Amino acid sequence: MKKHPMLKYLKEEGPAGPRLPLIMCPGCGVGQVLNYTLRAVDTVIHEDGLRPEDFVFISGVGCSSRLASHYLNFDSAWTLHGRALAVATGALLANPKLKIIVFTGDGDAAAIGGNHFIHTCRRNLDMTILCINNGLYGMTGGQVAPTTPLGQTTTTTPYGNVEDEFDLCRLAQTAGATYVARWSTAHPHQTIKTITRGIRKKGTAFVEILSQCPVHFKTAPAEMFRGLKKSTVPLKKAGRKETQGRIPVGEFCDIDKPDWVARYQKIIDRLGSDESPHE
Amino acid sequence: MTRHPRFEIRIAGFGGQGVVTIGKILGTAFSIHGGRNSVNTQSYGPESRGGACRSEVVVSDGEINYPYVRKADVLVALSQLALDTYVDDLKDGGILVIDPQAIKSVPAPERFRLYPVPTLAIAHETGDVKYQNTVVLGALYAFIADLIRESDLLETLRESVPPATVDGNLAAFEKGKNFVRSTFVLEK
Amino acid sequence: MSRNPADHLLTPGVHYLQGAQACAEGAILAGCRVYAGYPITPATEIMEHAAHRLPQVGGRFIQMEDEISSASVLLGASWAGVKAMTATSSPGFSLMQEVISFAIMTETPLVIVDVQRPGPGQGYITTSQEDVMQARWGHHGEGSIIALSPASVQDMFDFTVEAFNLAERWRTPVLLMAEETVAHMRERLVVPPLADIRIVNRITPQDLGIAPESYLPYGHAQVPPMAIWGQGYAINHVSLVHHADGNVTRYSPKVHFENVARIHHKIEDNVDEIARLDARWLEGCRHLLICYGSVARTGIEAALEAREQRNIPLGFIRLKTLWPFPESQLRARVPDLDTVFVPEMNLGMMKHPITEALRDRCRRVVSIPSLGGLHSPELILSRIYEELA
Repeated sequence: MKKHPMLKYLKEEGPAGPRLPLIMCPGCGVGQVLNYTLRAVDTVIHEDGLRPEDFVFISGVGCSSRLASHYLNFDSAWTLHGRALAVATGALLANPKLKIIVFTGDGDAAAIGGNHFIHTCRRNLDMTILCINNGLYGMTGGQVAPTTPLGQTTTTTPYGNVEDEFDLCRLAQTAGATYVARWSTAHPHQTIKTITRGIRKKGTAFVEILSQCPVHFKTAPAEMFRGLKKSTVPLKKAGRKETQGRIPVGEFCDIDKPDWVARYQKIIDRLGSDESPHE
Repeated sequence: MTRHPRFEIRIAGFGGQGVVTIGKILGTAFSIHGGRNSVNTQSYGPESRGGACRSEVVVSDGEINYPYVRKADVLVALSQLALDTYVDDLKDGGILVIDPQAIKSVPAPERFRLYPVPTLAIAHETGDVKYQNTVVLGALYAFIADLIRESDLLETLRESVPPATVDGNLAAFEKGKNFVRSTFVLEK
Repeated sequence: MSRNPADHLLTPGVHYLQGAQACAEGAILAGCRVYAGYPITPATEIMEHAAHRLPQVGGRFIQMEDEISSASVLLGASWAGVKAMTATSSPGFSLMQEVISFAIMTETPLVIVDVQRPGPGQGYITTSQEDVMQARWGHHGEGSIIALSPASVQDMFDFTVEAFNLAERWRTPVLLMAEETVAHMRERLVVPPLADIRIVNRITPQDLGIAPESYLPYGHAQVPPMAIWGQGYAINHVSLVHHADGNVTRYSPKVHFENVARIHHKIEDNVDEIARLDARWLEGCRHLLICYGSVARTGIEAALEAREQRNIPLGFIRLKTLWPFPESQLRARVPDLDTVFVPEMNLGMMKHPITEALRDRCRRVVSIPSLGGLHSPELILSRIYEELA
């Protein structure tokens, strides 16, 4: 049987034994996002002359974040719930040449990590944030998240959610991210292209990927998939009467703005040529 | 093991009078140019202006263990509250410098060697009240001339203030020093 | 403060600095080139000095949005091969405990300075030693830690360099447990010629000739060699219980015990190499005064006076390392004692490991507490005289 072309980027086996299959549930969208991400990375490696050792994957905690546990044949870190972006900030400031990709989830990024999320976008730190949004807390059993729709029942909203949800892309854009896009696992080609553009973007690239959680939504994966396609609408068709209520997908913004390291470098350069010895 | 002699100076007033700067300049002068050990500490309330503020310098030819004033040799008090708070820590026969414009009552003045120096008024004469603390420094120098060379203190002062204010500060220092020398007979 | 115009490092010789500045300068000379922090009294001066100096030496400074992210920055920087530090005070120290726990499990070198202030809660903005137990036990879970206790501006410099060396040598977070007293005082700092300052860097797999395909990120030695990001080792940092090769599945109680016990013993087995204390007047002493941090300054003053003015046979010990606690060193050095006095700027914390260490070697341990201010010599002496009357 032919091997999946992206397996070259994973650690299948180690001295302590096999690492695959992924721990994700059958039908989960997280594995698809891994596939799309690796294809984007593969493109960048082959077309832009980058090497695998130039990449670092950093994740928080949750189903999405498990991607950077022990599977990747890249430098990586599986860090603290909500703090992946702060860890990524440290890595970038230490070595701005690193190509940093962050795997995070909706709870990880927008609840406990919310503060770091908005400040990272505001700072326009050069990294690609891949937020796999399944609308709840999967790993811990299906609790409500800031992205759970109004009225949805979850284990902690047994009578229906009384809160409105975040629009993560609007949040990222308002906070200052310079490349913001949303697709879903049901849009493989668009997602791969968008992640590629995000990696190539100099600045904070935020890509939200709506994903199915068949287990906690108690819905068959194929049906969830069809649901993702039906409930989303490409940007240029959004806002029409017949597409009202559907989630817009596409690129929301792509602007050019100096990133944090570039601005700070000007200070380093200026001081480096300052000859005065005293405070 | 004998203890080496230590000399303890405390300057106190309210926030904004430049009390902390005086201590910093003294400590730096003692230790960088004068080659002695000195510890400079300060404490204040959280307000940037007003409140109570004190700066201390302990100087010694030997090791300085306890870093704060135990029994001050010199107390400079620029506010009534400062005097009331710290007068008990001044040793009998110690040097007490006060600004008579701010301080109306001195408890048991006979216990100390009291030197009223109108630092605020002198600062006005130099053209800016912000030089009050340098006037204090000059006055203080007159009492500790055997602990530090004037040139060392002046060099530290020059290095510690914004270049545009060096001349004004040097003038204020002179005025403070000369006021004390011409007004009082100083015992050793 | 004078620096060399060529590289902007502090010139060797005598400087007159605040403890806070000395700490930041020690970090820079140790090689720290990433600093992240958040304002908090009385630690802010360290951060402000770092903001000023880091870009001068080609490093990067960032003020983060809180203490949790400040500490998290250090993880990424360390894994990317750059020494990193943050400084905070007690409330911020509480916030950083999860990151410290994570750094212990991932064996990540980093330095955190806690300029202690009184608590609990907002407490006050003066001086304290109330976090010394939190330093050891504040992080959730097992795993030991290294914590140093500076008592002077010179210590703030020397111990910061030492903290980085210990972090790199033992692949661990190291805590510098300072106090407001020592952070805010100004004293002479003597900077030795730079070639004389000992700097330790982590051992990498390349140093040991281990190629990426044979590398075990948590293996090879009690202190595993640490790969740096960007060098082709594809290292996955994880804090879930793991095998030596970094595998986080195939759990067993045996793997769990081996993993966590190694991290614990890595520090605790090497306490004699790591922990340091200073002692004076131990020969023939009947009683002992044990201090750490700024209280040691008052302690020596008090001990000198008690010995000279009242002929009390009082020995003196200063703990320079709080954790790992130097129990065997303490026991090895002291004679049998009557009373051990432990003045602390808390209600009695280090008195507990001291009591345990000297349980059969002294009649009693007497705590001399002070909250919110440094002990005066009178406070310590009056208690000693009262107890020994």
